[in-house]
Amino acid sequence: MTPVHFSFTSAFMLGLMGLAFHRTHLLSALLCLEGMMLSLFIALALWVMQFESTMFSTGPLLLLAFSACEASAGLALLVATARTHGTDRLQNLSLLQC
Amino acid sequence: MNPYVLTTLLSSLGLGTALTFASSHWLLAWMGLEINTLAIIPLMSRQHHPRAVEATTKYFLVQATAAAMVLFAATTNAWLLGAWTINDLSHPIASTMTFTALALKIGLAPMHFWLPEVLQGLDLLTGLILSTWQKLAPLALMVQIAPNINPMMLTLLGLMSALAGGWGGLNQTQIRKILAYSSIAHMGWMIIVMQYTPHLTLLALAMYILMTSTAFLSLKLVSATKISTLTTMWSKTPILASATALTLLSLGGLPPLTGFMPKWLILQEMAKQDLPLAATVMALAALVSLYFYLRLCYAMALTIYPNVATATTPWRVQTTQSTTALATFTALALGLLPVTPAILAVLI
Repeated sequence: MTPVHFSFTSAFMLGLMGLAFHRTHLLSALLCLEGMMLSLFIALALWVMQFESTMFSTGPLLLLAFSACEASAGLALLVATARTHGTDRLQNLSLLQC
Repeated sequence: MNPYVLTTLLSSLGLGTALTFASSHWLLAWMGLEINTLAIIPLMSRQHHPRAVEATTKYFLVQATAAAMVLFAATTNAWLLGAWTINDLSHPIASTMTFTALALKIGLAPMHFWLPEVLQGLDLLTGLILSTWQKLAPLALMVQIAPNINPMMLTLLGLMSALAGGWGGLNQTQIRKILAYSSIAHMGWMIIVMQYTPHLTLLALAMYILMTSTAFLSLKLVSATKISTLTTMWSKTPILASATALTLLSLGGLPPLTGFMPKWLILQEMAKQDLPLAATVMALAALVSLYFYLRLCYAMALTIYPNVATATTPWRVQTTQSTTALATFTALALGLLPVTPAILAVLI
């Protein structure tokens, strides 16, 4: 495993752990999601260099566009949650449990 | 909702799934999955009800995580082997991670905990789209990568999903949660046969979509979301009450209804592949699910809600909803078992 591979893998894994174990605020989950997407962007951008295949140069841009849409959808949901539940604390998201 | 916005969102739903179906590159498949997620988010939170918004938030987090994991696994495979095509996902870590992420997307056990809560927060039509259309794209990807996955993992996920779907639904009184657990169990049946005959997975998926659409549309006609509401269905639409009872028995997999067909063929295939123990466990797990379907049938068709003897039954007014789809799906969900040879000839 090359150092670059290790670095973006560990960045993604740290973001994933943050997303899986977020306990207090919804915003921290969205931040970790963004971190994961950023590590994937770096991975795609450096893949082109590593494998010297310029055909895939637009890959990182497509990923960035979609991750921006996803982030904005997440933020819109954060605002909607703040409007209906009053806060973004995860303890308040308990209306639907069995 | 504004008709232009609704058209755009429904078209985007169609586009996302079609994109994933047509793609051979992992980035394009991921884009299709993301488009599906983004398109259904406004549909889910249409009503701005706290439960709907909470369901939407949970759904978004789960789907975004799963999609990111899919892309990460594809990127790892690309870094290690240099290949981006969907069929070339041959590195074991990458294929296992992709399959786990796709299983999270469709709600297989042990990654199923989000599905009952999310389905509970939605109205019946959006719940229908979530249970049927949103499963198509991830299952298409799973069928394509199934040859590269450890067979033990597929069998284990299938068994766990069937058992979790059965036991989870036993203590529920909200019908949307019951249908969520039913979805989990059916996905388990689809996964377990994927390694041997992918055609049976697609057949099980088609039959599941048929039966679930019938169930959701029947419930939508009488606006029933709890078992106690189902008990008054006999006075509003007696014929639909019996038809819905039969649909639920079809979901449970009883002959001579349609739902028996996928279960029968899957058990036959598993017997051919020399897996008697797994087949027995799957059949017993289907028995557990059958119990809560039977409970719903009992509430609908075998009891009369306690009402005062001097009170009259409500007026049976004609419904304003369109019932074409419900009629078609009900006929198909109840009567397709004799057509099994024709379906097999077309599919295999």
